[in-house]
Formats: sequence, structure tokens, C-alpha cells
Amino acid sequence: MKNIKEKIIEVKNLKKNFKISKRMNGLPGHIANLFKPKYEVKEAVKGIDFEIYEGECVGFIGANGAGKSTTIKMLSGILYPDSGCINVMGFEPHKDRKKYVANIGVVFGQKSQLSWDLPVIDSFELLKNIYKIPSDVYKKNLDEFMELLDMSNFINQPVRQLSLGQRMRADIAASLLHSPKLVFFDEPTIGLDVVAKEKIREFVRYMNKEKKVTFIFTTHDMQDIAKTCERIIIIDKGSKMYDGSVKELVDKYGGSVKLAIEIKDVLVDEEYIKLLKQSLENQFIDCEFTIEDKKNNIVEIMFENKTLSSVQVTTFLAEKFTLKDFRISDIDIEEIVRKIYEGGITL
Amino acid sequence: MEKTYNAFSLFLCYSKITIKSWFQYKVDACMRSLAVFFREATGVIVIYLTMLTFDEINGWNTNELLLLFSFVYVTYGILIVFFTGLRDFEFLVNTGQFDRFLLRPRGALFQVIASNSDWFAAIGHGALGICLFIFSANNVQIVWNFWNIIYCISSIIGGVFIQAAIFLVVASLSFFFIKTGSIRELLYWNTRKFANYPISIFPKFVKIFMTYIIPFAFVNYFPATYLLDKDSGEFLGKTFCYITPVIGIVMFGAAYLFWNYSLKRYKSTGN
Ligand SMILES: Nc1ncnc2c1ncn2[C@@H]1O[C@H](COP(=O)(O)OP(=O)(O)OP(=O)(O)O)[C@@H](O)[C@H]1O
Ligand SMILES: [Mg+2]
Repeated sequence: MKNIKEKIIEVKNLKKNFKISKRMNGLPGHIANLFKPKYEVKEAVKGIDFEIYEGECVGFIGANGAGKSTTIKMLSGILYPDSGCINVMGFEPHKDRKKYVANIGVVFGQKSQLSWDLPVIDSFELLKNIYKIPSDVYKKNLDEFMELLDMSNFINQPVRQLSLGQRMRADIAASLLHSPKLVFFDEPTIGLDVVAKEKIREFVRYMNKEKKVTFIFTTHDMQDIAKTCERIIIIDKGSKMYDGSVKELVDKYGGSVKLAIEIKDVLVDEEYIKLLKQSLENQFIDCEFTIEDKKNNIVEIMFENKTLSSVQVTTFLAEKFTLKDFRISDIDIEEIVRKIYEGGITL
Repeated sequence: MEKTYNAFSLFLCYSKITIKSWFQYKVDACMRSLAVFFREATGVIVIYLTMLTFDEINGWNTNELLLLFSFVYVTYGILIVFFTGLRDFEFLVNTGQFDRFLLRPRGALFQVIASNSDWFAAIGHGALGICLFIFSANNVQIVWNFWNIIYCISSIIGGVFIQAAIFLVVASLSFFFIKTGSIRELLYWNTRKFANYPISIFPKFVKIFMTYIIPFAFVNYFPATYLLDKDSGEFLGKTFCYITPVIGIVMFGAAYLFWNYSLKRYKSTGN
């Protein structure tokens, strides 16, 4: 499937550092700042590689400060990379900026591009002028987005009077008016309620499937990913941790079972956890267990249930330890990603 | 040709938007014009009254001093119609608006300039400048002829570009330093305070600073000496009176090169 599609983004060994000046206080500090400023170097992106193909919808996830926004800013030509190369649709974003950006759309959920005091439609008209969008294309897109994003009842209202959900939808429409083939969404669902989020997901799905728009979608909400993306790239502390299909990730790690047990009579401490792990591993040779102390005498045990049934494990535990209660659940993508962030799963 | 037309039409489109935004708060906007006018006028009056006790300083009488002021205010009024975006550049960066400009297929500097005009403050400054100009020009009896008028207009335009260049340099410096407030204070506002007086009263290093380093003297001092037919006290004095527009264009061009060079270091903001 992949090889017939065209590569739209190619990123190689991309790096970006930020120099953060450390300011000292007091008069001597000020003088020192002036003559010998101290810097701390923050490695925001530490050499990542990936390729994205036309028509994909790729979830781009990672904990706070992982370097997602920085990567998106480099991909969209806002920031100069320190090293590495980026090729998007044959352009080098920061170098061919003016020509390049006419082909992409970008939404930063945290920062609106609409004029705060003016009706939404005025900002759209300005964009029509900026991008030199032909009138018929503009009208067609506008009508379509009005319907898809349900904007008709607030299009003439000043942006400052809109709810966050309405504003976000207007922002999304604004960044797609010029029919870009590639769209970057940086947290477009931040702070929205479930209904508003769902509307945006639906829109992304539609534009991706029907209009063949390629999306890169940053979010902290795994539901966004589960419902729109087939592929995810996980980055952590500036490096790529995982790159592959969502399904594979869930198959591989979602095949695990999570067993929460509550221990009676004994106080659970580190020693206890060690003992628990030891005896499980002695009993079920070749099986891996991830054990986590959940406090209040609750312990979470994760294991793959391909070779091992939860009945076996529970029975064994009930015999050897003093259980008060237990609960079994499957692992979903949210859980997997959380574990990855916490280092519970190594990819 | 088409490019110029495009840029112009976009400029108008942006201006329409800024004016429309301002008019959302009509009363506030008018109050702002008045407030600016009276704030600045008070400053001028205080200096005026102080001067009255001196009769004249270094050969300049009070009316002639007001002519110096008028150039500062008229040029500043025009400056903030066109270059507010540069003056408030730090704000554009902090709010993420500059990121947005970089995402649009138009020149970044063009958008910074076109997207922002402090219209109502401009009315305050401009009106004060025009009042001062008319008042002082009347009292010092400048003989008006065609060349004088052309001279005034071109000097004013040159003066606007000199100040715009200073703002552009400060804006570019913000790619290297986090806070540029104090740099702007130093390079622009302090220099401008000196420019309220004829530079001939200052010690030599101030004269050199005002003529060759931050050439604010070309905004008002040299044009005023020409109109008043005074000896500027500079050995190239007569030539200096004519080159304000040249200085303006050259400075702005140089500042533009510096801007382009600095833009590569743009860091955007975290959240
Ligand atoms: N303009 C900047 N100047 C200095 N440091 C920055 C800047 N932008 C980002 N950083 C730093 O770089 C790192 C990566 O930031 P980035 O915004 O890319 O993270 P992120 O993955 O988008 O996080 P979040 O989920 O919180 O949006 C962080 O440590 C951040 O503090
Ligand atoms: Mg971010």
C-alpha cells in the first residue's frame, strides 16, 4: 500500500536546541548578565527521522515538553532547524518559506489566528486576500466548512464572543480555506468538551478520507488518536520512541491484561512487591510481569495473556497471598501510552 | 507591477481590519486620541514655559524650539500609522502572531508592518505636531515657496524612515535578546528626548551620537536649521540639511538586511 503512495514529508536527523539564558539577580548579577550571559542549552529535538506518505493521518504524541510543537514549527517553516534535513513536497520549509506555506495549513490550538474583535467572516475575507484564493474556490470551501463544522450561527459574531469550541472550529476552517494538501494540527482539541472534540474528529476523518488531505495531529487525548489516526509517532524527550500503526501497538501491548489486586492484612512495601514478582516469575517461567504499587495496598500486575490466562494467575495469587479483592481489565491505547511515558513499557 | 498592486490591496485590506477593530471601541478610541494629545501637549508646554524664562538658548528662541518639536511629533504620527507593528514587535512575538505571519505566503516584514496601525494615537501625535508646526512656522515667518514645501515633505518622509529603521533594528535584536524594552528605551526614547533641544547646546559626544550613531538630528535638527536659515555648527552643515531622505532610505535598507539576517535566529515561544 505504502509504496504506491507518494512521500510527502521526509525528515532526517532533525535537531533543535534552545538556549535559555539564566538570569542572575541583584546588581552584580545584572552586570554579569550583561557581560557574560549564562546559557542553559535545552535539547528540544534530538535527531528524529520519519517519513510521511500522502493521504496518511498521523498522530504525533508525547508528554509535555517532548518536542512536538518544536518539530511542527520546523516542519512548517517557522523555526530554522539546527541540523538535519526536512523535505516537504520538495520544499525545504524554512528556505522556501513563502512558496512552501501556500501548500500547508496549520492550527495551533493554543493560539488563534482570527482577529479578536471582528466577526469570523472578516478574518476569512482577509485570508482570501492573503492567499489569493480564487473566489469560486473560496466560496466552495466556505460553504462546505460552514456545514461540516456547523458554523452558520456564529460566523458573523466577533471572535471574542465565541465559545472555545466555536473559536476552534473557526480556526480550523481558517487554516483550510486555501485547500492545503498537508495540514498540521497542534492540539486542536485542547480544552474542548466531548461533543466539540467529536465534531473535530469527524471533520478530520472526512477531510482525510474524502479529500485526501494529509494530517499530522498532535494531542494529549488518546481518543482523538484512536478515532482518527492509523499511525502514530511517539516522541519522548526529543527522540522518537515508536513509529508504526496504532493497531500494531494495541495488538502488541494491548494483548496484555491488567490485574488489580487488593492485599489484606499485610502492608504492601517494596519488599512485598519484589516477593510478589519473584514468586510469579518462578511459577510462570518465561512470562513477563510488570508490577506497580498503586498505594492503599492495591497492586497492579500486567502480563501478556497469549500464553497465560488470567484465571491461572488469579488462582495462583489467591493461594499464595491474602487477597481481599481483584479486578481484571484490558489495556487500551491510553493505558499503553501512559505506560510508555512512565517507562513501564520499553519499545 | 502586479506585485505592487497585490501588496497594496493587501495593505488596504489589513488597514480596513485594524480600523474596524478600533472602531469596535469608538469612545475608547477617541479618548485615546485626546489623551495622547493632551499628555504630549503638557510635556511641550512645560518645556515651553521653562524656555520663556531664558529668552533664547544658544541662539534658538522659543518659537524656533517649537519647530523642532513639531518635526518630532509629525513624523511620529506618521510613523505609527505605518510602523506600529515594528514598535510593538515584542507583543507580536509573545502572542504568537508572528508565528502566524511566517505561516502565510507573504513577506514577514510586510505583514508586521501592514497588520498594525496605532491610528488613534497617531491622530493625537499628528494633530499636536501640525498645531505646533503651524504655530511656530507662523511666528518665525518662514517664507513658503514650492521648494520649501517639497523640502518639508521629503524631510518628514526621511525622518519617518530614520525612526522606522531604529524600530526595525530593535525588533531584529529581539531575535537575540529576550527583552528588548530597555534597548528600545536607550536607542529610541532617550535619543528622542535629546532631540527636543538643538544639538548645538550639547557636548561634543552627544552631537556625534545624534548625528552619526543614532542620527536623530536628521529628523528635526537639520531640517529646522535649514528652514530657519541657521548655521547648524557642523562642518558639513549645509549638506547635512539636505540628506535626511537619503539617510532615511539608507538606514532602513541596512536595517532590512539586518532583519533578514536575524530572522534565522527566530525562536518562537514555548507555551
Ligand atoms: N521558544 C522557546 N524557547 C525556549 N525553549 C523552548 C521554546 N519552545 C520550546 N522550548 C522548550 O523545548 C522543549 C520542547 O517544547 P515543545 O513545545 O516542543 O513541547 P511539546 O511536545 O509541544 O509539549 P506540549 O505537549 O506541552 O505542547 C520544552 O522543554 C520547552 O521548554
Ligand atoms: Mg506543544
